Amino acid sequence: MHLDAGQKIRTDPWFLTGAALLGLLFCLAVFGPVLMPWDPYDTSFIPLDPPSARHWLGINDGGMDIFAELLSGLRHTLIFGLTAASAGLVLGSVTGLFAAWQGGWVDQILMRLADIVLAIPSVMILILLAAFFQPPPWVLALTLAALTWPTTARGIRAQALTLKHGLHIQAARHMGGSSRYIIFRHLMPELFPLYLINFAAKLRMAVFMEASLAFLGLFDPSLKSLGLMISFALKYYYMDIWAHWLMPPVLLLSFLIMGTTFVTISLERVFDPRLKSAL
Amino acid sequence: MRITIKKLTVQYTEDDHSLLALDRVNLTLAPGRITALVGESGSGKTTLGKAIMGLLPDNAKVKGEIFLDQDNLLAFDEARMTPIRWAKAAMVFQNGAANLNPVHRLKHQVAEPLIQRGTPKKQALELAETRLKAMGLARELADRYPHELSGGQVQRGLLAMGLILDPPLLILDEPTAALDAVTKSFVADVIQQCRAQNKSILLITHDLDLAGALADDIAVLYLGQVMEHLPGRDLLEHPAHPYTLALARAFPTMDAVRDLGGIRGDAFYRMVHAHAADNGHTHVHTHVAAPDAFHQGGHAPPEGCLFQPRCTQAIPACSLGSVAMEITPEGDHRVRCLRGGIAQALHFEQVTKSYGKITALYPTDLTLMAGEVFCLVGETGSGKTTLAMIAAGAVSPDQGTRFFQGRDMDLWMKKDAAALASRIGIIYQNPAESVSHRLTVFEIVAEPLRIHNTVRDESALADRVKAALSDVHLSCAPEFLKRYPHELNMGAIQRVCLARALVHEPDLLVADEPTSALDPSVQAKVLKMLLTLQIEKGVTLLFVTHNIGLARKVADRIGVMSGGRIIETGPAARIINHPAHEYTRTLIRSAQGLIRPRAPVSSSV
Repeated sequence: MHLDAGQKIRTDPWFLTGAALLGLLFCLAVFGPVLMPWDPYDTSFIPLDPPSARHWLGINDGGMDIFAELLSGLRHTLIFGLTAASAGLVLGSVTGLFAAWQGGWVDQILMRLADIVLAIPSVMILILLAAFFQPPPWVLALTLAALTWPTTARGIRAQALTLKHGLHIQAARHMGGSSRYIIFRHLMPELFPLYLINFAAKLRMAVFMEASLAFLGLFDPSLKSLGLMISFALKYYYMDIWAHWLMPPVLLLSFLIMGTTFVTISLERVFDPRLKSAL
Repeated sequence: MRITIKKLTVQYTEDDHSLLALDRVNLTLAPGRITALVGESGSGKTTLGKAIMGLLPDNAKVKGEIFLDQDNLLAFDEARMTPIRWAKAAMVFQNGAANLNPVHRLKHQVAEPLIQRGTPKKQALELAETRLKAMGLARELADRYPHELSGGQVQRGLLAMGLILDPPLLILDEPTAALDAVTKSFVADVIQQCRAQNKSILLITHDLDLAGALADDIAVLYLGQVMEHLPGRDLLEHPAHPYTLALARAFPTMDAVRDLGGIRGDAFYRMVHAHAADNGHTHVHTHVAAPDAFHQGGHAPPEGCLFQPRCTQAIPACSLGSVAMEITPEGDHRVRCLRGGIAQALHFEQVTKSYGKITALYPTDLTLMAGEVFCLVGETGSGKTTLAMIAAGAVSPDQGTRFFQGRDMDLWMKKDAAALASRIGIIYQNPAESVSHRLTVFEIVAEPLRIHNTVRDESALADRVKAALSDVHLSCAPEFLKRYPHELNMGAIQRVCLARALVHEPDLLVADEPTSALDPSVQAKVLKMLLTLQIEKGVTLLFVTHNIGLARKVADRIGVMSGGRIIETGPAARIINHPAHEYTRTLIRSAQGLIRPRAPVSSSV
């Protein structure tokens, strides 16, 4: 049960590896720009200067310190990912819970809506949106959330429906508990593992999506982001820059995605009984 | 000879306080009828007998009237009473041997009333011997001294003595208390012969079987008040007062199949005392229980029904004013109960329920009386759980009306569902699933209190939870309160569920197969606890089980269900011993393990 789950996850190597990776990256993103002596927007250095003791990863074509840019990019990518994941999770959870609790036609309408949204290719929408309107990243993050909530909503709804008919929740109803009481006291806390799993999955997806959009050059080039860095670095692929310019953002992005993937896998394995039996 | 007792009040004074033994008792003893007085010890039964005989001690203050035909016996002095005793009215006392003189032979003592009234000694002794012989005491027994006789023999000797002058009024105080079953039925025959001789008989007894079998009328005494007058045949089957029901339930009749249950709480003597109140008046009043101390002032006399603190159906109005005897709707009982006798806890009229095309419950009527244990028995899929959940307010019926405590449940639910829910506790078949695995034992039991916001103070809440846990014999240690359900065994979880169901002091407890997940030894413990709590809390219990053997040990009444219908309802003893419906018989037979024998295999060997 839940205590076992807590115990189990603390000793799961997948979770530990993923959490360590994510923890490291979050620390870099939070504290890195503070500790870094160079301003990532400062263009006063010699363009394309190779790495040195002063500039560990050298200078890019715009005359900016690559290491400073890398940390700033990581931070922005993470902010984008967290925004999209949180918004998507909240939207999806609330919709799913509401649909499950109300049932009937409310449930029907919301779930058909989810089906429709699910059928829309989110990459296409984001590419079109970014290309035509050049909105700030947070608008893109929220749009991404608005397009990805159905998966969460479905998962939460399914679990909430099971729980709703569970005996202990029925018991609380029979005791005279109001809907509000049961949702806040029983349903929402019990769905906690699902929030975690969904959040981690959405974070991974959003980070990847951000990198893709930036790589395609659909982001404002004056911003900082791991995807943009890769995109810029690739313009100079004929020069000897891959080790200090191309690789670092690729590696960070890979670690970020690996970390979230590991955590998601571990959480699903521990909390989802169907997967548990399959593995 | 007819005895009419009117508003008889007897108060014993001892030192600085007095005890009220009888409180305005009305009773009539008619020729050829046996009137039984039943009630717990201390209810004033013997005092009434002694009052008729004029044998009350000096510290007794008597008010009211006792008419022997036209004469008021209470106005008689000792000289006028003496000729009445033995000749017109005889009393056979309890504690046989203590009433005999140890230095005289039995037959001498039996003959004494005759000799005193001038019969020659020889003739008197002969008559005494004949009477003793009629009581089954042979000549050599009649010659013995009291200490050489057994309790039963002494009792029969005393009966012979009471009958020696052939009095028209006979008062029997616990005539069978010390007797074995065989002697008891002999004495019962003697009593019936006396009735046939047109004597008026007052039978004071604890033995409800005897009272029910012999008495024409019964008066149920509680703390000196008559609670119910009823015909003898109704005593065990159809009592109208909750106290009579409780007495009947506590008595071990041969028919009783369920485990015996006592009556919750204790009866005390009614203590009379006086004190000054704040308004300067002096209150003389009685307390059912001994008052905490000699309180000086402040409170008005306690009011209301005497039985109310122990009653299973008391409502707030029961503790106000005084309660008069009233005739029940059927007309043959008179009860002293504000609610007109045993009230209906639950009443269904033509309730139905179907799930899609499957009909779970065909139109069903059901009535649960307050404080009783009603068992629904039947195989799986017979609609037991559906009916129980409709009773619990957890499932809405398709048609029909249901009443809980006289109120339409569905209207009540619309108006204030939480208030209705707070009066009903439910125990589920699967204890482990009926509690949240995220909550600690404390939180599980506290949940109903939190939902209804009954206790706002956290420490008061903790007290309630701990009290509920100790009721079900679980630990109240902080470590235990912090345990999670998966750390407990099934029996303990079900007890936690029981504590949760009772913590809010509901009026109705619905238990759906509460012990089917438990092994027999744990089941026995949990059941025992459930029944004890049912009596202590005075809660009405609707018990659902597929096991008729279990129902037999639990139920006051049983309803047998099959195919969505109640096919038979009745007192547990009757259903078990004389099942009317074929299905019930099958159910009992299968429970006894008597499966239809297979046809003999035709062997070719």
